[in-house]
Amino acid sequence: MGTVLERNAVRVTGVPGGRPIVFAHGFGCDQGMWRFVAPDFEVDHRVVLFDQVGSGNSDLSAYDPEKYGSLSGYASDLVEICRELELSDVVFVGHSVSAMIGVLAVQQAPELFGVLVMVGPSPRYVNDGDYTGGFSRTDIAGLLDSLESNHLGWSAQMAPVIMGNPDRPELGEELTNSFCRTDPGIASQFARVTFLSDNRKDLSAVTIPTLVLQCSDDVIAPEVVGRYVHEAIPGSVFTKLAATGHCPNLSAPEETTAAIRAFLSP
Amino acid sequence: MSSAGTDPSGVDPPGPLDRLLDEDPADLYENAPMGYLSTLPDGRIVKVNRTFCAWTGRSPDDLLGARFRDLLTVGGKVFHDTHLAPLLRMQGAVREVALDVLRADGSMLPCLVNAVELRDEDGSAVLVRATLFEATARRRYERELLAAQRAAQESEARSRTLQQVVSDLAAASSAEDVATVIVERSRAALDARGAALVQVDEAPDGTDGLPGLRPVRSLGLPAALLAALREAASGQLALELAQGVRSVPLDERLRAAQPGVAEAMAAAGLVSLVIVPVTADSRRLGVLILGLGHGGPGDLISLTEPDARLGLTAAEIDLLWTLGRQAGQALERARLHEQTVRQAERAAFLLDAARLLAAASDVTDTVERVAELAVDRLADLCVLDLESEQGPHRAAARHRDPARQHLADEVRERHLPQRAATHPSTRALQQGGTQWVRVVDEAFLAGVTSDERHLEAIRAMQLSSVVAVPLIADGRRLGVLTLATDRRRTPFTEADVEVAEQLGLQVSLVLAKAQRYELDVRTSHTLQANLLPPPPPEIAGLATAVRYLAATQGVEVGGDFYDVVRLPNGQVALAVGDVVGHDITAAATMGQLNSVFRALLVDGPSPSAMIDRLQASWSLLGLQRMATALFAALDPATGQLAIASAGHLPPLLITAGHAEFLPVQPSRMLGAPPAPAPALEWAGVLPVGATMVLFTDGLVESRTADLDEGLAHLLEAATRWAAFGPDELCDRLLADLTGAHRADDIALLALTRLP
Repeated sequence: MGTVLERNAVRVTGVPGGRPIVFAHGFGCDQGMWRFVAPDFEVDHRVVLFDQVGSGNSDLSAYDPEKYGSLSGYASDLVEICRELELSDVVFVGHSVSAMIGVLAVQQAPELFGVLVMVGPSPRYVNDGDYTGGFSRTDIAGLLDSLESNHLGWSAQMAPVIMGNPDRPELGEELTNSFCRTDPGIASQFARVTFLSDNRKDLSAVTIPTLVLQCSDDVIAPEVVGRYVHEAIPGSVFTKLAATGHCPNLSAPEETTAAIRAFLSP
Repeated sequence: MSSAGTDPSGVDPPGPLDRLLDEDPADLYENAPMGYLSTLPDGRIVKVNRTFCAWTGRSPDDLLGARFRDLLTVGGKVFHDTHLAPLLRMQGAVREVALDVLRADGSMLPCLVNAVELRDEDGSAVLVRATLFEATARRRYERELLAAQRAAQESEARSRTLQQVVSDLAAASSAEDVATVIVERSRAALDARGAALVQVDEAPDGTDGLPGLRPVRSLGLPAALLAALREAASGQLALELAQGVRSVPLDERLRAAQPGVAEAMAAAGLVSLVIVPVTADSRRLGVLILGLGHGGPGDLISLTEPDARLGLTAAEIDLLWTLGRQAGQALERARLHEQTVRQAERAAFLLDAARLLAAASDVTDTVERVAELAVDRLADLCVLDLESEQGPHRAAARHRDPARQHLADEVRERHLPQRAATHPSTRALQQGGTQWVRVVDEAFLAGVTSDERHLEAIRAMQLSSVVAVPLIADGRRLGVLTLATDRRRTPFTEADVEVAEQLGLQVSLVLAKAQRYELDVRTSHTLQANLLPPPPPEIAGLATAVRYLAATQGVEVGGDFYDVVRLPNGQVALAVGDVVGHDITAAATMGQLNSVFRALLVDGPSPSAMIDRLQASWSLLGLQRMATALFAALDPATGQLAIASAGHLPPLLITAGHAEFLPVQPSRMLGAPPAPAPALEWAGVLPVGATMVLFTDGLVESRTADLDEGLAHLLEAATRWAAFGPDELCDRLLADLTGAHRADDIALLALTRLP
């Protein structure tokens, strides 16, 4: 058991006295997702990057199926990181499922957070009555199938190497698809938690300034969902990006950065 | 074919192979044995080869401009956007990603995808090139491997569950233990919301005639659901279900057939119930009920649609079936074990009861002890009714639960057992046999209570079964021992009733003995109080003192007597006597003797004449015991004294600090066979200031010393205390000569002639 910072492979860069900005990756890969966005903020912010437990270089031994059986487990990790680093007035930028993790963290420790930026958020992926989330449970089962077919370089032989040497990336470099590799069991449960959670009723509790960044043509978080989030969070700002897909932080980092900056300093 | 080594020019004319090897790049691209795709960074297809078009049944026109992602299944789309696209951006290439491409006809083409991202000098993505290999067979193989792996894991999990259950059950010694193991393990194995083990009792358990379904252990299933199931069981639902492992989904059919069960399931968030028979040697002992639901907050999230039927796999059914049988056998084992333990407990109970009863000192104590013991070990309520001269009375009513003792008290104080024929206590007493009420219902309660308040009190006790055992000894009906259970414990079994009967027998014997003894004591005391003469009268010229001490063993009354009577002629008649024996007969004889003595005094006979008259009329008086007696006549004015003894010890005379026994010659005992000589009489004068002491043998006889020794002690003591008046003299003599334990009564009479 390491410290909170080791557990989440926390990396802090930027200006030590600057306003803290914390980037959180979503379901899929790791903090590398922010490689084109974070550097821009390093000039005037204290930039914090981390891996969710179970992803990237996090401490896999810290993965507790019960704790991470719901998003609040991840949210409490985020709160712990902020407290450990003694951050306040944090700008939290959460991509995909981490946007919702941010909502829950703000509920858990409202005193830590100043601004919430939600990139491609969805409070509920599965359709439910009048609500359109974009997916049926069968679709999610298909995703789990895809995950099972794609262990992405994870093998029983390599697992001990990866888990035992989080501080020796050169071992990982040799692996294909290394940024998105993770233990298949964890990936499967993270997918379930991500795609089957329902946090719609948590949205209205957010009272800090919130920016909803919506991509064009995002099959994972369609625009109707982004608008739902925007409408559910009082006073939130909705910005639609020209970027397509689900990862504007990779496909359109300049546009993403500009939108965040515009929101932070209007 | 080749002759390269011999051609002087070094160049072969091109053959068919060379022509093939000298490939047209365009043809190679279009007809390569793999699909080729090029897309813009946003995923729009800008180039695609013929192979891919042929595989997917799509024309290039359909494909160009479309997003590659949109050709994938939903799962594939998500995977593409969350993994493949980010990876391409971050590491520039992906290898061997498995995706299913949708053909034009909707069927799936399993592929393995490799892709590279081409970048400009700034590192910005310009183009993505992808190759796709058909991987139908390989993916099928992988799926089979995965399925086999999963099946192996599940099978391992099942055998682990079974092993755990078997080892846990080995340590389970009660039905509750067994139920706990089965409920917890099966719930975990099926990831069920809740589970309960319900035992089916053969006899109906309540007043409504439904089969007894007793939940032994329930975890996570609401009581309302179990109650609804029990209701449903009246329509034989549970019995029908218990034929095999059955799944009962919450559907329209159930809603129509069992609305109560359906409602309870819906309220508990359950989508189906699984009913597993619990059997041993084909006997049905109960059912294991599992409630399956959707994951809620905190649970592992389920993929199942809310309205989907939750079926069971064959392997799960197998596992449950085996669990049910294991549970059944374990329940049987536990039952036998419990039976053995209970038998041992019963034996110990009866032994304890015997010990306790042996130590009881009287009827009240006996009754209290029995009630205490019964509610401690056998029943929830114990009531003891005893018959007495005044009719029946409630001698004790005890409840095991202190919170309900007030109800027992009320029943005891206010409500005598009804003479109604339905009351088990009454019936037990009248018929002289045990009455066992296996099921207590409202009609029963109404029949045995006297009024509304009585009914309320009994109802509040929630009795479930009653046993009334008559207490009979020597053919006498002494009372009834009534025991009852309440709903918090299991009703009486046959074995319990047997124990109650044995307890009743023990109690009867002890009660009979104690009652007899108490009657004796009571009678003796009454006799003693009535028969002993009143304190001696004040007589001018005399100071008198009397003492009567009963023996410390037995009924505390004996046949000793004394009397001091002032006669009309101024004389004083004195008597001390001792009827043989220390029992009621002795006491009664003493009383009669005393009365006759007084009656004979009318004629003022001399002491010896008194003896002669008593002897003469002894057979007429019908006195059953012989007696010794000493009679004296004293003239207080002159001190003239006459004494006659019928086998009695001589009187003691204390004069001027000197003590001696008067030489009164004893004649035969009263009631002894006739002897020729008449009674002798001693005559003398009691000097002024002298004290005469009359006594019975209790004063001088003890178990450890003989009579002569006792008399010697008396002389010594009398000499020592010669200066005292009669009262204090009596005290001193008794203190010196008697201990705490007296085997015999003592009568002591002292008188001093005053100046």
